[in-house]
Amino acid sequence: MAVKVYGDRMSQPSRAVLIFCKINGIDFEEILVDISKNQQLSPEYKAINPMYQVPAIVDGRFTLFESHAILIYICCAFPGVASHWYPSDLTKRAKIHSVLDWHHSNLRRGSAGLVFNTLLAQLDCHQSYPQVVNQAEGILLRSLSRLENFWLKDGRFLVGGSQPSIADISLVCEIMQLELLSEKERDRILSPFKKVVQWIEDTKIATAPYFDEVHGVLFKAQKRFRERIKTQSNLKAKL
Amino acid sequence: MALKVYADRMSQPSRAVLIFCKINGIDVEEIRVDILKNKQYSPEYKAINPMRRVPAIVDGRFKLFESHAILIYICCAFPGVASHWYPSDLFKRSKIHSVLDWHHSNLRRGTVGLVFNTILAPLNGFPSNPQAAKEGEKLLTRSLSKLEDFWLKDGRFLVGSSQPSIADISLVCEIMQLELLSEEDHDRILSPYKKVVQWIEDTKSATAPHFDEVHGILFKAQKRFRERMATESVKNEVKSKL
Repeated sequence: MAVKVYGDRMSQPSRAVLIFCKINGIDFEEILVDISKNQQLSPEYKAINPMYQVPAIVDGRFTLFESHAILIYICCAFPGVASHWYPSDLTKRAKIHSVLDWHHSNLRRGSAGLVFNTLLAQLDCHQSYPQVVNQAEGILLRSLSRLENFWLKDGRFLVGGSQPSIADISLVCEIMQLELLSEKERDRILSPFKKVVQWIEDTKIATAPYFDEVHGVLFKAQKRFRERIKTQSNLKAKL
Repeated sequence: MALKVYADRMSQPSRAVLIFCKINGIDVEEIRVDILKNKQYSPEYKAINPMRRVPAIVDGRFKLFESHAILIYICCAFPGVASHWYPSDLFKRSKIHSVLDWHHSNLRRGTVGLVFNTILAPLNGFPSNPQAAKEGEKLLTRSLSKLEDFWLKDGRFLVGSSQPSIADISLVCEIMQLELLSEEDHDRILSPYKKVVQWIEDTKSATAPHFDEVHGILFKAQKRFRERMATESVKNEVKSKL
């Protein structure tokens, strides 16, 4: 029986789980939970994940949410998964746990906070809180700095890995959300961090062709958002 | 060689690691990193943890930070640790991972937001942020609700367990930080959640006497803070009458 993966490809952790399943040939069924339509709040989905978030998986009778827990579960439950994704060596594994933990309050918090508040302000459906945006950008920049100077200092991949682990997929999918910003903003934020930029490319290559395929929805949204902002600013210029 | 644990007992995740080591009889050398004196910014500590946070461990040549990663490492590296702390059963273990992950952006974020902005910032000369305190409390209350209705629905301990795991120690140490609030606020926030209150007691009992011993510093700070706040409010009352 296929694993059911409940996700929305606009959600960074959903993409991480989907890419990981595809690259490892896991037999799974993808079930869209459209967060733009608030489907994660439905009673049906609440029975899967009472936290109303994506992703979640159902494997037989076993239900699980939180993407890092899901990635680890898949590594352990499916024997075909190559060991570099979640090495059995205790110290390597511990380092992967530490960057996955660090991620929540650092890269994710900064990136998600910045993208969410910037987009909502730009799309005029939410009051603009410049302080919130600045704070989130501060956290993001500090996190990118830590990636550049510490987490990527010893190898092509995180925590000194010469091959990618689940941590690389998780964190790179998070950074991809910056594609929803304007091209200028995204480049301003990312371009100083040369190792980070290279690492994103290396992770894409290591998970090709699924990385680009799963990110298709994000790039479509990027196109729509950037066109909308262009139209708005043209209108404003005329007024 | 003893495991070196770099910690400050005012830090919730530091306490979790210390209590866990003590209850499992791990040979530990505790090295205090006083965060109120900014010792985490020293060059010596930066060499241990470049993120400048506590706790961190050094086991021989191996360094590690992030308390959940540390707790898991200890469970796997030290054979004497009983299996209920981190069960080998894949399903149970996964559920423990999921609550530990959930913790970061929910219980921890809410508690830290509330306690820092209500007590720690004003008493240590940082600007107060009532909006952040309010948001912290909202997130905390939602998290306590999820603990009450979901994470504790199937057993005495988290994720349906009859015995504690590393997740119980981590999350209960976080909630203990609420002891720094006034007694009134602490009770107002916690008392509606009967299962949570019982679970805190059960976790304390399961890790006695180390739980209370490690929390000693927190309770001393609580006493100081509450006395100081009482003095401040008397001063404000006098001022308002003049």
